[in-house]
Amino acid sequence: MKFYKEHYDVIIMGAGLAGLSAALQLQARGITDILILEKHNLPGGLATSYVRNGIEIEATLHEMMSIGSKEDRLKVGTFFDEMGIDIDWLKVPEAYRFIEKTKKIDITLHSGFETMSNEIDAQYPGWGDKVYDFMNLCNRVYNSMNILSVTPMSKPEMLKKHPDFVKTVGYSAKQVMETYKFPQDIVDILTPYWIYVGNPMSSLPFTIYAFLMADYFRGGSYVCRNFSHEMSMKLQAKVEENGAQIEFRQEVEKILVRNKKVYGVRTKRGDEIFSDYVISAAYPNKVYTQMIEPLSEVPAGAIKMVNARKLSVCPVSVMMVLDGTPEELGIRDYNVFSGDTMDTDKIWENYHTLGPYGYLTSICLNLANPDCTPEGYTQFSITALPLVDPFLDVKETEYHALKRRLASEMIANYEETTGVNIHDHIVEIEVETPVTVAHYVGAWKGSIYGYSHSLDDHAVARLQMKEEDHFIEGLEFAGAHGISGNGMGPAVTNGRAAAKGVLDSRKEQKEDYRLVSGYMKLADMLNRRKGADK
Amino acid sequence: MKIESFLKDVGGASRVTAARREKFRKGSPIPEPEDPIRALSDALHPDKIRFIVTDVRDVSPTSKTWRLRSTDGHIPIFQSGQYVCFHLQIGNSVLNRPYSISSAPFESKCDNPFIEVTIRRNRPYFVPDYFFDHVKVGEVLWGSMPFGTFYYEPLRDSKNVVAIAGGSGITPFVSMAREIAAGWLDVNLTIIYGSVHSSDIVCGRELDEIDRKCDKVKVVHVMSDDPDWQGEKGFVNREIIEKYSGEDTTYMFCGPYAMYTFVEKTMKEMGVPAGKFRKDAIAQPDVSLIPGYPSDKKDEVYTIKVMRGIHEDIIQAAASEPVAVAVERAGIALDTHCRGGECGMCRSQLLEGEIFVSPIGDGRRRMDKELGWFHACSAYPMSDLVIKIPIL
Ligand SMILES: Cc1cc2nc3c(=O)[nH]c(=O)nc-3n(C[C@H](O)[C@H](O)[C@H](O)COP(=O)(O)OP(=O)(O)OC[C@H]3O[C@@H](n4cnc5c(N)ncnc54)[C@H](O)[C@@H]3O)c2cc1C
Ligand code: FES
Repeated sequence: MKFYKEHYDVIIMGAGLAGLSAALQLQARGITDILILEKHNLPGGLATSYVRNGIEIEATLHEMMSIGSKEDRLKVGTFFDEMGIDIDWLKVPEAYRFIEKTKKIDITLHSGFETMSNEIDAQYPGWGDKVYDFMNLCNRVYNSMNILSVTPMSKPEMLKKHPDFVKTVGYSAKQVMETYKFPQDIVDILTPYWIYVGNPMSSLPFTIYAFLMADYFRGGSYVCRNFSHEMSMKLQAKVEENGAQIEFRQEVEKILVRNKKVYGVRTKRGDEIFSDYVISAAYPNKVYTQMIEPLSEVPAGAIKMVNARKLSVCPVSVMMVLDGTPEELGIRDYNVFSGDTMDTDKIWENYHTLGPYGYLTSICLNLANPDCTPEGYTQFSITALPLVDPFLDVKETEYHALKRRLASEMIANYEETTGVNIHDHIVEIEVETPVTVAHYVGAWKGSIYGYSHSLDDHAVARLQMKEEDHFIEGLEFAGAHGISGNGMGPAVTNGRAAAKGVLDSRKEQKEDYRLVSGYMKLADMLNRRKGADK
Repeated sequence: MKIESFLKDVGGASRVTAARREKFRKGSPIPEPEDPIRALSDALHPDKIRFIVTDVRDVSPTSKTWRLRSTDGHIPIFQSGQYVCFHLQIGNSVLNRPYSISSAPFESKCDNPFIEVTIRRNRPYFVPDYFFDHVKVGEVLWGSMPFGTFYYEPLRDSKNVVAIAGGSGITPFVSMAREIAAGWLDVNLTIIYGSVHSSDIVCGRELDEIDRKCDKVKVVHVMSDDPDWQGEKGFVNREIIEKYSGEDTTYMFCGPYAMYTFVEKTMKEMGVPAGKFRKDAIAQPDVSLIPGYPSDKKDEVYTIKVMRGIHEDIIQAAASEPVAVAVERAGIALDTHCRGGECGMCRSQLLEGEIFVSPIGDGRRRMDKELGWFHACSAYPMSDLVIKIPIL
């Protein structure tokens, strides 16, 4: 029985957002002979939902960045529009409410640089303008980053056109922010999003921090009316409509390589399928240490690279359906960041343990998407984003008890912070951990955020080193482990970048071919002339 | 703008690139293929387990319990109420069947771990027949576990649990009772257990023994057709449920569909909040019992074109049977777990044709409904179909 063609132009392993976006980008450039192999039985990877007793529950998406309003579409929103993918986006009502318990800071910020700086000014009179300036700096860096990631430029030109970007690249978020001499409270208020790119402010590149702040505060953030599964399904439908073959429940076990060149894959079932290009959702750590066949094809540099890089955070997320409307339960905020301290170095220390976790974010989906549950229920989650390290030693027999302890601590913490009673209203509850992630999407060590953004693994350096990070011809990576890093918006961008890798390499080959065939023609001509001369 | 000095500021890009290069240069050249998180997730959810039957015993005139050990000695941790799914080949059919685990979780964690399943055959029936006639001691069975979300969740459920069971729906509560009796689970469990006649109570003797020995477990038998019975008689009803319920109770139900509809109505009447009533996945009943099923179609037979990758098969399908059954009968593998529409394991793509989706336990995602994805275990063909399923 034959389930596949012998050969495809491109094989994509993983139908997550990155893999699907890679396919769309290839198709937009005329490559349609694509096979997508997905391990799970549905598309989207982490961008998914599940159903409990008839209620659909969002698995991950809190806030999607880079979408923007219809009038001011940002990068990912524009890409979806161009690809003809029509997602029912709902704007998240506020950026966040931030509660710092020790210093008793309690403030709610909305998107719009002016709006949020006024909101800060109202509590800290006189500081609004400076916050506004700071946000504009973030925005300039954001714009530059978007341009420079696709348009290479000489250094002098870059300095001329993108001075703020160039001058801040080498510094941490903390270093740049210090030049504004904000009172500590304001620094704290501007910090909460840091965890979405997980690294303390003292080692988080300002570039990344600025990107995040500008994107979220400029256009606000969005969720899909029919959960992130809507986005995944609509991407999949379009990719299939454009002619790709997608097969679910197909885990790729081996990537076949000969002379440092990819020539196909083998699935767990045992199918061998051939292609000169493979785009991998699996982390480079897994690909270079387990999947390349034979492993002797893996250059030492690739191993050194994956060993040197640090993984970013992983999730502990308590997802619940509560009985009662948000109003009845007293939940007023879509998104609350809270903790006893906003010293990110201290939080980082706490995140290197198995809890109790102090710094939490909570999401009440109904406040952005009122019909996400049947009438009278609320969909609510509390999340901490620790490092995977403390989870590495967890035993099978301890796992369930650990999940329950973490969840009950997180619920108690939220209740104490906000005065809302959660535990008496739980109808459904699931606790997601790195182990859950490993189970569903197979991500390396349960990571969701790829490699940590740090001053020694800077996005700008990643971009500059693109060529030297590339070890096997025809093998590209599409996922949170890509240059742009984690999150659903960046996953789309990373997928497109992987497609570009394939496209560039095909172009090169075509040019090589043109060059070679040109020489051959020339030689032929000369030979003939020689013959004629005789 | 200036951060430190002009020169240092503009040198940022070179600096971070040099730092990254240096970091990679220092990276260890020794491959590190271990991923303990994936290893833990694989231990918790192994792909397929090779079980061997080590004991079969009668637990009522119509039911038996099979004890299974895994040949590699490892059984994943489960919680009372979860089920195991067996992968069977019976004649031409390739199928999966879920069975609640009736042994206690602690018994799969000790030395010589095992699980047990209890199956009833009170009339000839396809898979139970196979178990009763063919699955003997020494037989190998392939299965996967654990599945299902029907278990006591301390983060949500009350310490006082009233379990309502009918017939073979007792199995998850046998597991729970054993776990409580052995001191591994701290719950006060009252089981209200409906049977037809006291001469045939599934696991009756074992439950009564636990009831006698353990003051946290109480078993109330209710006989629907046993005039001489000394205890509760008739069907399990509101009066009986209320009689055995204390303050702050979580109700858990497992039993046939007809009983479920009645118990669910009773729970509503009693004002039990949504979070305090849990039900196990319910297998799809005969189509005559499914609300909304177009009974004028039930004798129709259609053809289904089944696509797997670029391969196509044409199979026959009765309108009275779920699509999954037609596929299995044709010897085509399709993974199913709950077989009740809830878990989504059998998620398939409808490319052409009409189906009827049972409203019982419809667990489809909203976008799936809109874009034509369905759960094959609980959807019935209403015309010729073209569907796509995974290659297994
Ligand atoms: C609790 C939680 C909340 C989050 N909230 C947000 C948020 O609010 N906003 C946001 O932007 N991001 C959020 N994220 C992060 C975001 O989900 C991820 O960063 C992003 O989805 C990554 O996409 P991806 O395509 O790189 O990877 P994945 O989504 O992991 O997709 C990879 C796919 O590849 C498949 N695959 C892997 N290996 C193989 C193989 N060998 N063969 C075949 N298939 C394979 C997997 O099954 C999977 O489908 C959240 C994550 C979590 C866990
Ligand atoms: S097997 Fe669970 S939904 Fe079909």
